[in-house]
Amino acid sequence: MAAAAKPVSGPTYADIDRGVRKIMEAPGLAYWAWVGFCFTLVAIAAALWTRQIYEGLGVTGLRQGPMWAMYITNFVFWVGIAHSGTLISAILYLFRTRWRTAVYRVAETMTLFAVLTAGLFPIIHVGRPWYAYWLLPYPNERSLQPDFRSPLVWDAFAVSTYLTISALFLIMGLIPDVANARDVAKGWRKVLYSIVSLGWQGTDTQWQHWSMAYLLLAGLATPLVLSVHSVVSWDFAMAQLPGWHSTIFAPYFVAGAIFSGVAMVLTLVIPMRKIMHLEDLITDWHLDSLAKVILLTGLIVTYSYGIESFMVWYSKDPIEMMTFHERYFGYHGWVFWVCIFCNCIVPLALFSPRIRRNTVLLFIITIFVNIGMWFERFMIVAVSQENNFNPSQWAIYHPSITEIMITVGSFGWFLGLFSLFARFMPIISMTELKEGIHWLREAVRDDYYPGLK
Amino acid sequence: MSSHSEPSKPARPVSPDDVKIPAGVVGTLGVLTAVGVVAFIAALSAGLSQRVWEIFLVNLLFFLGVAQAGVAASAAFYLTQARWAGQVQYRLAEAFVAFLPVGFVLFWGLYIGRIEIFPWILHPIPDKESWLNTPFLFARDGLGLFIITVLSLWFVKASRSEEAMEWTADSANIKMPPRPIRRLAPAIGIAYVLVYTLLAFDLVMSLSPLWRSTLFGWYFFAGAWWSALVVMALIAVLLGRRLPAGNVFSRPNVLHDYGKLVFAFSVFWVYTLFAQYIVIWYGDIPIETFFIVVRDHYMPWMPLSWSAFVLVWVIPFTVLMGARPKRTPAILGTVATLGIIGLWLERYVLVVPSLSPHKVPFGWVEALMTLGFLGLFGLCSLPGMKRVIAAASSTAVGESE
Amino acid sequence: MSGEIDVIGSFATEEMCVHAIEELKDARIKPTRVFAPIPSEHINHALGYGRSPVRALVLTGGITGILTGFAVTIGTSMEWWLNAGGKPIVSLPPFIIIAFELMILFGGTSAVLGFLLNSRMPQLDPLPGYSERFSSDRFGVLVRCAESEKDRVEGILKEAGAETVAHQAA
Repeated sequence: MAAAAKPVSGPTYADIDRGVRKIMEAPGLAYWAWVGFCFTLVAIAAALWTRQIYEGLGVTGLRQGPMWAMYITNFVFWVGIAHSGTLISAILYLFRTRWRTAVYRVAETMTLFAVLTAGLFPIIHVGRPWYAYWLLPYPNERSLQPDFRSPLVWDAFAVSTYLTISALFLIMGLIPDVANARDVAKGWRKVLYSIVSLGWQGTDTQWQHWSMAYLLLAGLATPLVLSVHSVVSWDFAMAQLPGWHSTIFAPYFVAGAIFSGVAMVLTLVIPMRKIMHLEDLITDWHLDSLAKVILLTGLIVTYSYGIESFMVWYSKDPIEMMTFHERYFGYHGWVFWVCIFCNCIVPLALFSPRIRRNTVLLFIITIFVNIGMWFERFMIVAVSQENNFNPSQWAIYHPSITEIMITVGSFGWFLGLFSLFARFMPIISMTELKEGIHWLREAVRDDYYPGLK
Repeated sequence: MSSHSEPSKPARPVSPDDVKIPAGVVGTLGVLTAVGVVAFIAALSAGLSQRVWEIFLVNLLFFLGVAQAGVAASAAFYLTQARWAGQVQYRLAEAFVAFLPVGFVLFWGLYIGRIEIFPWILHPIPDKESWLNTPFLFARDGLGLFIITVLSLWFVKASRSEEAMEWTADSANIKMPPRPIRRLAPAIGIAYVLVYTLLAFDLVMSLSPLWRSTLFGWYFFAGAWWSALVVMALIAVLLGRRLPAGNVFSRPNVLHDYGKLVFAFSVFWVYTLFAQYIVIWYGDIPIETFFIVVRDHYMPWMPLSWSAFVLVWVIPFTVLMGARPKRTPAILGTVATLGIIGLWLERYVLVVPSLSPHKVPFGWVEALMTLGFLGLFGLCSLPGMKRVIAAASSTAVGESE
Repeated sequence: MSGEIDVIGSFATEEMCVHAIEELKDARIKPTRVFAPIPSEHINHALGYGRSPVRALVLTGGITGILTGFAVTIGTSMEWWLNAGGKPIVSLPPFIIIAFELMILFGGTSAVLGFLLNSRMPQLDPLPGYSERFSSDRFGVLVRCAESEKDRVEGILKEAGAETVAHQAA
């Protein structure tokens, strides 16, 4: 017997396709001006980096004492941003979280470009970047190998693995969507999409193997979220420096990474949604759910601050107490209080469902979180080194124009790449939205807070 | 309890009042409790007070951990809108709540035995006296336990309301849980983290007062969390077999979900263990390393620590990786049982070596008192278990995904 | 092939597509290919598919990764016997980290390679029966059958709710 089509309210597959394909139409002047601006910042940064390579690291503010400062701060910051993308795309996939589908591609794209940005910084930071390949094991005449006992080598492996797996995961997810785009595209776009989609046609065999590979990739990417940022945190925790040597660093950094990363996802998604009229695909429910993740991880970061401070006092170790006194009240003490305000106090507003669903306030909160988390990395990395074990090395770190403009340039690089991708590739997963269309229809109905309206 | 195979009936909710726990079960638990009490008194009279209070602390931490983490799990299920087993997963998580007030009372027993447990009473550490002193420690830990016990009872009451049970029944929507739950569940989560961090620092870490690890509190409540999950998994397996056919716990999907939780949080536990280990190993600072090496490097504690490691991580990880083992009751049940023993052993290895580094005190005192705690925990959980059985037996539960 | 034609039914929903496959199975006709815009466990189940072999490849990749990780780290440490920071020459805690990362790297790459090999992708030519709507909002069931069977197959597809039924020479 023929099964009659049930009448449906809410978006259909065709609606989803239409909404997302509109984003991929030829962009206007304003868009190109924005991209141009981003890459201008990159050009300035590149010029300053070239100067740094030519003249040496003396052009920076790095000195004995604070030997790792803004570059490493940026490295940790961008790797952290990357992690939340994988959390949303891989971990929440395994949990079958329903609100993930509309935002996961934005998050995963953000991950890829954040890792690309982060990966630049160790290279920028070293004095002789042309020797960066020494970090990897290769046969040589003197049998010299990297010291696998060093956390920096763990980093090389962890971040390269993360870059590769994130790229593969993103591409896997893209294939069916790009095939969708290919089928309605013309000209050079059709060629591009045909190449990227590898001839995907959605046959049963293709889906069967794709689903298994995707599930396993999600399962493999999941431990990466925990392990990569733990490895990055161990760059610091393995040292005996007070302020660095702390067992809580691994999960604390992971929570902080997700905190800043999800905030960055919202920073990207809220304007994107407004400019491209995607409110019916990325609904208030999606934003609300992301905001709750920010709240949870913000509380974990607050907990970690509290535990660190408590343990310093509990230990009564004079050197640790001195370091933390400087952290709170020293020359760079203001950084700590910025962190407390931005990371601990501001996110508490997200306890209110009304604030979570107010896109303007939510956007502002995420900006604060990103500022706070950047400064937190700075506080941990640079400020801890200003008062180390050797008083003759005590020194205050003063950033130079080179470091500041390279930092600004990194934001340009990230935002520019992301903007390019968002307009030429499907930035929302049409496939997954269709798969979870029941939940999208529920979200559009917007009545999930009993007693709130 | 005999189980009949009945043809599937139309949905008819079973009331907890109709559930009869067999007299044999109640009797056994009562006997175990009595044995524990008798052993406690006998050992104290025999002058074995250090052993008595050591094992008292270990068992208190373990069983309170299971009960409290169960309530925290229920809160977490609400916050993540988890309804893969409908009402039953909530009833099971909350089944042990009645032990919380009992545990609160037992906590004050530590005051009586404090000299045997806290080395800093007889040998105070001058710098640390403002934190490690008897009045302040008992005041703060007592207050913390009081607050979380009250919150837990309040939360469980809200969770047993009509509104909440209705919400758990239908998972095809994205509705948030009812308002009282929306308020209390985050409070439970925060209280659990803060109170159990405090207990970990005060009741375990302070037994080696010179040692510290910032991750220790998190590691401790992550272990307690896992202990609640394995107890739930074991009960799910046991009830699945004993309750009438078609009960919620007999569904492979439900066992699969419990298995996934056991697997995932076993990995999280080992992650928090490794995070502490690698930092302390690498820094090689004596004031940090001594705590670890007494337990994992030197006899007599080395075999026990490694056994706990195998039971809590190696076995669950290797055995429960695939989907089929998680869905097989015998396998999940065995791993869960071994896991419960393993985590108890882990708590034992955290507490006792600080007080007895060269000798493993384990004899009739420890065995009988542990059985006593088990009996008492079981008795306290009976009312909660009746609700679980009622909820699992009635076929009117929500769809599992 | 002479005498064989492809009958393609296009369906608006997953349920109808699955229903059509089951009807075909009841009539002892096996669909040659099913096109879908979304991954569907129901379609896979209806077609009687077991688990993809990609799993085994990933397991192999992962184990290779772990072994490579330990081999590289232990091997190179023993090649140059250097005491770094008082740690043992073969220090397992840090080597575990490297082995773990390589496990994930090799496992993940194996997953993608396994997918490409098993699906025979990149698929350079359009497969017979493919229509652009199948990547958007329609499900397609393709049956390759003899000319004589055409009407029977079309009938089953139409009864199952096919929006359109087309046929072309194989």
